[in-house]
Amino acid sequence: MERKIKRNILLIFAAMIVIAGIIGFMIWNEPHRDIKDATALKTTAVLLYSNLTKDSTSMKSRFVNQVVEVSGEVKLVSENQNGDQIILLKTNISGGSVNCTMEEKINNAKPGDSISIKGICSGYIGGDPDIDLPGDVFLTRCYPSI
Amino acid sequence: MKKMILLWMLFAFTNINADAQVYYTKNGNVSFFSKTVLENIDAENNQVISVLNTETGSLQFSLLNNAFHFPKAKMEADFNEDYIESDKYPRSTFKGTITNLSDVNFNKDGSYSVKVNGDMTVHGVTKNISVPGTIVIKNGNVSATSSFKVLVNDYKIKIPSIVSDKIGESIEVKVSCNYQKK
Repeated sequence: MERKIKRNILLIFAAMIVIAGIIGFMIWNEPHRDIKDATALKTTAVLLYSNLTKDSTSMKSRFVNQVVEVSGEVKLVSENQNGDQIILLKTNISGGSVNCTMEEKINNAKPGDSISIKGICSGYIGGDPDIDLPGDVFLTRCYPSI
Repeated sequence: MKKMILLWMLFAFTNINADAQVYYTKNGNVSFFSKTVLENIDAENNQVISVLNTETGSLQFSLLNNAFHFPKAKMEADFNEDYIESDKYPRSTFKGTITNLSDVNFNKDGSYSVKVNGDMTVHGVTKNISVPGTIVIKNGNVSATSSFKVLVNDYKIKIPSIVSDKIGESIEVKVSCNYQKK
């Protein structure tokens, strides 16, 4: 009888360890946020840029780390060193852009196009006022928004 | 007359100087790597603003901590919430100068070893560091790379002991920028 109880306790412990292991493994291997199908905060490149360059922290927190869908006019299409497509969207500051690093390339995107891009807004980095270089607002893991 | 020519030359020379040679990128790359018993941690940020002045040797980097991308979502969340605290300290920056600027000929193709000294601010802590780097000039294009080690303790980044075997105390940082002329 006593042996049976001991065995059961051991079994329960073993089961708990296995469950904890599985949960830990699942948390550790949790996939990245799904951008493509996420609901996004809709805005325009001009508005997003002016919001994030303003000193209001409440506006900043509204967009930063959120999935946003930004519509605007393409200023430049290029590539970073990893071969990821970079699309710059025009703002009302010349030299300042919404800088999008694409996770899924937009084929035939060219300057002048009106497009919509979905991605995570990481925030604004100021440029260098000494050399008259405005900063950019950055979007990571971007997808074309259809 | 000689004095006039000298004065004119001086004037012409300062004029060239005033036309500062400034290069920049807004999509530079900074990555870091940490080898651990359990798993290697490798994160990358491709949205680094860097400005290089080839006249004065001043060199600046600025990045958003939350733009580092990790292979695993959990690593990324832990990094932002627990270690670098990117809500509190959104940016990491470096402001410095190339100390052996005269060794670099920006008008001649080649690979030049440089030393860079300056202040790095990470997690609200500013430290003066000296790191080696390489500047490559190819067909008039300027690019720069650097690789150095950072101790997490130097920047008051606290790592709970339960995971400290996962995260190396010393992190290898790599910087790579392709510049364009301003």
